[in-house]
Amino acid sequence: MFENLRKIRPLTFFGAVMTALALAGCTHSVRVDGTFPAPVGKTHPMTVGLYFSPDFRNFTYVDNSEDREDWNINTGKAQYNLFNTVLGSMFDSSVQLAQYPASVPGNVDIVIVPEVRELQFTMPRETRVNIFEVWIKYDMHAYNAQGESVADWVITAYGKTPTAFLKSEEDALAQAINIALRDAGATLYLGFNRVPELQAFLAAPRRAVSLRDEAPENEGEVQ
Amino acid sequence: MNSFYKIPSLLGGLLLATGFLGGCTTVSIDEYRRSAGELDAGDSVVILGRRHSSDYETEPSLISCVGNELDNGKSIRVISESQFVDALYPWFEPRTAPMHMKSLDRLLEIPGVQERLDNYGVKYIVWIDGNTETTDSAGSIGCSIGTAGAGCFGFGTWDKESDYEAAIWNFRDREVSGKISADAQGTSYMPAIVVPIPLIARVQTNACKGIAAQLEDFLMPAGAGT
Repeated sequence: MFENLRKIRPLTFFGAVMTALALAGCTHSVRVDGTFPAPVGKTHPMTVGLYFSPDFRNFTYVDNSEDREDWNINTGKAQYNLFNTVLGSMFDSSVQLAQYPASVPGNVDIVIVPEVRELQFTMPRETRVNIFEVWIKYDMHAYNAQGESVADWVITAYGKTPTAFLKSEEDALAQAINIALRDAGATLYLGFNRVPELQAFLAAPRRAVSLRDEAPENEGEVQ
Repeated sequence: MNSFYKIPSLLGGLLLATGFLGGCTTVSIDEYRRSAGELDAGDSVVILGRRHSSDYETEPSLISCVGNELDNGKSIRVISESQFVDALYPWFEPRTAPMHMKSLDRLLEIPGVQERLDNYGVKYIVWIDGNTETTDSAGSIGCSIGTAGAGCFGFGTWDKESDYEAAIWNFRDREVSGKISADAQGTSYMPAIVVPIPLIARVQTNACKGIAAQLEDFLMPAGAGT
């Protein structure tokens, strides 16, 4: 009996190693580590608090559907870089929050929390078009200094890259994701003022400032 | 016995020949000139690719090729696409890039944009739109490995076609100075007698060289600098 076990164990071990190697060979891994430029344009006269959850910072999309090979796509670092740079440049000053809503500094006017809702991609052999395409959807949440919800909105981003000779599928997909993330940054920057709730929130401090400025003049008039 | 030794030298010769031979390519260039190009010292040119179409994308490799051809010792200062697009983020992304001169005027009202363009000394923005695609292919090549060795036999051929249009915007005068279109076709061959021998038609490269030569003539007409 033990002799049989001794015979089987090395074979089983060998088989397990070979199976693991075969499975690992079928899984494509992509890690996107892009850096992104700060947007050019005017800033909002506020201090923003940015909270990036551990899930967001380490986001990995796993695709193990039956009709395509397995993919592990890690976009956490790149999307953290993007949102940190873009949101940080949209306001006069920014503070990164280690926790939310536990500790928010007193000078923070608005807190923004992004979340990944969805990531999709297509390969040239699936679409019969010689481009890799990526779609990413983000849920954006904004809170005031008291932790009350100010606005929830969605950002959709698209990126594509043509197939290139001697370029791997992983490299092409990483490039398409970087382009999609740049698009997310552009949409975030351009669309921020178009969210009605944010428009109202951004206008409120300005109204308060103008009222404050007008107050002494009014008092003078009364006297 | 002697013939046995001739085979490797024959194959070596064939492989060497591929370095010099290639498929044939024909390139035709058309130009529409509205105003004469002029570049002063300190003026620069930006070459950008259009990326708004859903079914193709102007290849970044073509844009860098045209930029390198223009910049290469021809006294035209070319700003790289990535450097320019990063410096003016997010205003030249596929979603936001100005499609007409009028949109460029609106873009200049955004704080910081005019300043950055002035810092680069941008006089011309060249937008290139188009792509290179494989239009037809035929033939087949089979490869096999055996105890006696490995080898491939067969014949493959494919056609490629490039279609690009370059719109030249004069940033200072706010007008479209002209347009250049480049069409290139070429057929590549790959006979395989033990070893595949690629005879590649460099369609995109030739289209790039054609556009760059015409752009150079457009931006720096002969005798303009003298």
